[in-house]
Order: sequence, then C-alpha cells, then structure tokens
Amino acid sequence: MPPRTRTRTRARGLSAFSIVAFIAAVVLLALFPKFVENPYAVHLMVTFFLAVIMGEAWNLIGGYGGQYSVGHAAYFGIGAYTVLVLLQTNGVAPWWGLLPALALALGVAAIVGSITFRLRGPYFVLASIAVAEIFRLVALNWKSATNGAEGILLSGVPPIVIGGTEIVNFSSKVPFYYMGLALAVLTVLVTVWFQGSKLGYYLQAIREDQDAANSLGIPLTFYKNIALMISAFFTAWAGALYGLYVGFIDPQTAVGLDISVQIVLTAIIGGIGTVFGPVVGAAILVALSEALRSNAITDLLVAGGLVSETSSIGIFLKDHLSHAHMLIYGFLVAIVILFMPDGVLGAVNNAARRRRARAAAGGAR
Amino acid sequence: MSETDSPILDIQHVSKQFGGLAANSDVSFSMTEGMILGLIGPNGAGKTTLFNCITGYYPPTKGDVIFKGKRLNGMTPDQVCKLGMVRTWQKVRPLAKLSVIDNVVVGALVRTGSVPEAREIAREQLHVVKLAHKADFLAGGLPIGERKKLEVARVLATKPDLLLLDEVMGGLNPAESEDIIQLILEIKQRGLTQMVIEHDMKAIMRISDRIVVLNSGEKLAEGAPLEIVSNPEVVTAYLGEAHT
Ligand SMILES: Nc1ncnc2c1ncn2[C@@H]1O[C@H](COP(=O)(O)OP(=O)(O)OP(=O)(O)O)[C@@H](O)[C@H]1O
Ligand SMILES: [Mg+2]
Repeated sequence: MPPRTRTRTRARGLSAFSIVAFIAAVVLLALFPKFVENPYAVHLMVTFFLAVIMGEAWNLIGGYGGQYSVGHAAYFGIGAYTVLVLLQTNGVAPWWGLLPALALALGVAAIVGSITFRLRGPYFVLASIAVAEIFRLVALNWKSATNGAEGILLSGVPPIVIGGTEIVNFSSKVPFYYMGLALAVLTVLVTVWFQGSKLGYYLQAIREDQDAANSLGIPLTFYKNIALMISAFFTAWAGALYGLYVGFIDPQTAVGLDISVQIVLTAIIGGIGTVFGPVVGAAILVALSEALRSNAITDLLVAGGLVSETSSIGIFLKDHLSHAHMLIYGFLVAIVILFMPDGVLGAVNNAARRRRARAAAGGAR
Repeated sequence: MSETDSPILDIQHVSKQFGGLAANSDVSFSMTEGMILGLIGPNGAGKTTLFNCITGYYPPTKGDVIFKGKRLNGMTPDQVCKLGMVRTWQKVRPLAKLSVIDNVVVGALVRTGSVPEAREIAREQLHVVKLAHKADFLAGGLPIGERKKLEVARVLATKPDLLLLDEVMGGLNPAESEDIIQLILEIKQRGLTQMVIEHDMKAIMRISDRIVVLNSGEKLAEGAPLEIVSNPEVVTAYLGEAHT
C-alpha cells in the first residue's frame, strides 16, 4: 500500500486554512471604511482592489493558460471609454453603460482571440501588444467620441436613485471602495471555480504543452478564446470602475502600454496560475509604488534616526528618491522575478511542497 | 466488403514531403478491429511522420486516412481524438507542472464535462498502468519509465478505439519493458485496436498480429511476424542500418 500521506484528499480546491483566512480578510476589509476614514488609505485600497481584479482576470488566460497577453489595456480601455463616453456625452447612467462595455469587451476578445491565438510564444505576445496599441490609437484619433488626447473629464457620477430616494451617492470614495471589494472578491471566486473546472484543466494543459493538449482532444483556440473572454470581461469592468473613480481618462492612462505591463507584473510577482497570487502581487506592487512615489522611505529613515533630514544625504533622498521611483520599482521587480521565478506565492508553495515531499518520503521508510 | 470486416483504419497512398525529403511515400495498409499492428523500420524510416499524418498533427501531402469509415482529411488532432483515435509521443510530453493524476484527468475530460467523473476514470487508468502510487507527484519529476506509463494512462483515459503507441518501450530497462508488453496485451484483451512503433524486434514479434515495415518512407513489407523476419529485404534493410 502506498502511504496515505501521498493521496490528495482535496481535489484542487482551497485548503480549509485558505478558506477561513479569505473569509476573515473579506469581513475585515468590509469593516475597514467604518474605522478608517482617512481618504488616502481608502484610495490606496481602491487602487489595490483594481489591481487584484485585473491581476486575477489576466491570470485566467495568462497564468493558467500560459498565453502572455501584454495587451490587456485594450479591454481596460474599452471598459473605461465606453462607460465614460456614454455617461459624459450621452448621459447614460454607468450601470447601463456597463452592459455595452462588457458586451463589447467580450466581442472584441472573441475576435482578437480567434486571430492571435493561432500564434504561439513571442509572436502571440507581440500581437497582443499591437492590438492594444491599435485601440490606443483609436482612442487618440476618434476625437468626436473620445475627445482625443485631451481625454474625458467626468463632471460627476450621478447618484443611484430608486423611487425618488437616493440610495448611493458618489461624493465620497467609500462606494467605490465597496464596489472594488465586491468585484475583487468575485474575481477570486471565479478563479476558484475556474481552477477546478474542465476549462481550468484545459487551459493548464495548453500552458504546459499545446501539442500534447491538442492530441488529447482539446480544441486549442476555442478554449483559449473562452478564457480570454472571461478575462477581458473582468478587465473591462475594472476599467469602467477606474474611469468612474478617477473621473478622468485619456488614451495613455486608460489604454497605455504601462497598464498592460502593470497587469502582467501583478500576476507574475504574486505567482501565476494560483488563486491568490495576483492578490499578493497587487499588495506588493501597490505598497511598493506608493512607498517609492511618496517620501515614505526617506521619512522612515529619518524617523529611525538613520539619516538626518537636514544632512546632505537626507536632502538628496528627499529630492531624488521620489523621482527615481520607476527605476527602483523596476529594479525590485526584476529581483523578484530573478529569484522567485514562480512569484512570491509560488515560492511559498514550492517550499511547502518540498516539505510535504520530504515528510512523505520519511513516512514511507 | 461486409460491415464486420471493414477496416477500422485504412491508410491509402499516404505521402508526406518535407521540402525535398519524402518522409512517407505512397504508404497503404489497413487495420481490423482488435488487432495489434507492429510498425517497424530503421531510424528515420518515417514511422513517427506516419503517426503525425494519421492523427492530423499535419496533413499528408497526398493520400487519405479513413478511420471508422470517416475520411480524416483536414481534421485536427482534437477532432481525431474525439472520434476515438489517439497517439502517444515518442519524445514524451508530460504536462510537467500538473500532478500525475491531473495529466490523466485532462485526457479523461474529452469524454465528460465533470471533473469528479474524470478523476474517477483517471484513477482507474493509473491503476491499469501501475502508477497509482505516484498520483500526486508532479509529472515533470517522474523518471523516464514512469513518464512512458503516464503517456499510456493519459491516452487510455480518452476512451479510444484505436491507440497509436510511439516507442513506449524506448529507453526502458527490461523489467519496465516487460510491464509495458503486458500492458499492451491487456489493452488488447479489452478489445482496443493498437498500432505499435517499436525497435525491439523480440517485443514486436511477441505482441503483433501483423507487421508493417517502413524503409526510407516507403512500405517495404507487410505480413505476419514470422513472414517478416524471414523476408530477405527486411533483413537487408536492418543489416544495412547496422553496418552504417
Ligand atoms: N517536421 C519535419 N521537418 C523536416 N523533416 C522532418 C520532420 N519530421 C521528420 N523529418 C524527417 O523525416 C524523416 C522521417 O522521420 P521520422 O521521425 O518519421 O522517423 P522515424 O521512423 O520515426 O525514426 P525514429 O525511429 O528515429 O523515431 C527523417 O529523415 C526526419 O529527419
Ligand atoms: Mg519516430
């Protein structure tokens, strides 16, 4: 008899610990705005939720499916522009505007997938970048709809009114906080479902070996398309939320290449092909970029007595650290990728797997 | 021809050209249900290329493949698999970062949408190839002998009618090869049809009902195992290879 320890009792679901931790985290996050009123803290959390949503969405096709799209800005932009254009120039309430936005993202994903999924590896990556650039150029040049490079400045998000009573008004960040939280939780749950589904198995098979997958009865393009459509759907939703939250979009901030890159990094840093990888990645990247952007690090060094604020080093850091943030950010990201090729969560999982394997090998003797 | 002796697989004048190289030229033969056909030939004879043509990995340059009465021209490997014909890879292709059982689950999912059901099928097939004790190991970490077994378990899980095995004994030690031989005979007992590429003549003689010999892309000979070993042309082809 093989030792019992080697038999997996749960089938690719979450561990009891993950489920409890997840529920606890959601409850705490739901209570957060009741206790923390600092708008900066709330703003950071909304940024975090948006990163989680996009990271989780990308993870479906990029992490599980191994199709490294560096063009998800296209879907983000579709979501943001559709909702904001409809609201600002046509007066369509965002909840209605969201429907065509999501439908458009699904349609575009289906078409883009059908064309680009014939390509493999670096060719697919390049094609995905090209597609997003096309959308950026459309946003830039279709001035009558998008207002071109000047972008769209929202004059406000109308309150939700039911039967004459105002249910929600968007004068504070808190409603966005809850929408972000809800959508982030939804994308995590979708990922849990995905991972245990036929679709999830097929995408992972495709990631590991397309020819083998194909020979085992998997129609490659069809399944990649389905995963891309789900991915695009949530990315567009995040784009819509972003546009409404910030109240301003232009081609660079809504369809720029750096959005695509940011999305990919979130998943890679956290750990691709895992449920919580993008959550970890989002937390790290948002914290990192905020710490570098502000003077938080210099302030910390000063507070810790390591550097005097009036010394030349202190002045130098204050002057330059926040400007160099993209450089340091890129450097740190490169370090993580070099030393943890499976991402932070992947590294943790690998260590746990080795420990289990050792325990199992020890038990067998 | 009556319904019962119509062949399960009929290969008609299949040619495959790679630029100036004729990897297969005008190969024809057929298989009846339940048989084991041994496909042999020196290195580079075009055996794997024939598998690729038959399963739709790439289309033959010329010729037709008819499986269960259906012409496969233009079909992709996934469609061919759904029809009931599936192949293993000479150079094994484990889904490295998936567990052993998940590799087999992927195969089983072609017949069911239910993952739990696919896991049941996968578990059975792992028992059949005697790999159940490795179910939760990562496929990428298996030694070659077990990778070959995994290839077989995975294709069995697709519930095929015709199995194409490409050197599943290649690189195995005698004990492991014997396991595979027993496995192939067991699969035959269950009524599946198999085409087996193998270099080990003793093994192929033992398991095959019929043998087709390829040489430089052409069919050199076809017949019962005893006819093949006494065929002077076949002997020359093999000796010729041994001398180069
Ligand atoms: N994709 C390809 N492009 C070009 N030439 C190829 C390709 N695939 C195979 N060949 C060539 O076709 C010939 C037949 O190759 P094939 O792999 O079918 O032989 P084989 O009988 O399976 O040999 P082995 O016993 O070594 O596996 C060889 O000369 C090989 O180099
Ligand atoms: Mg071969």
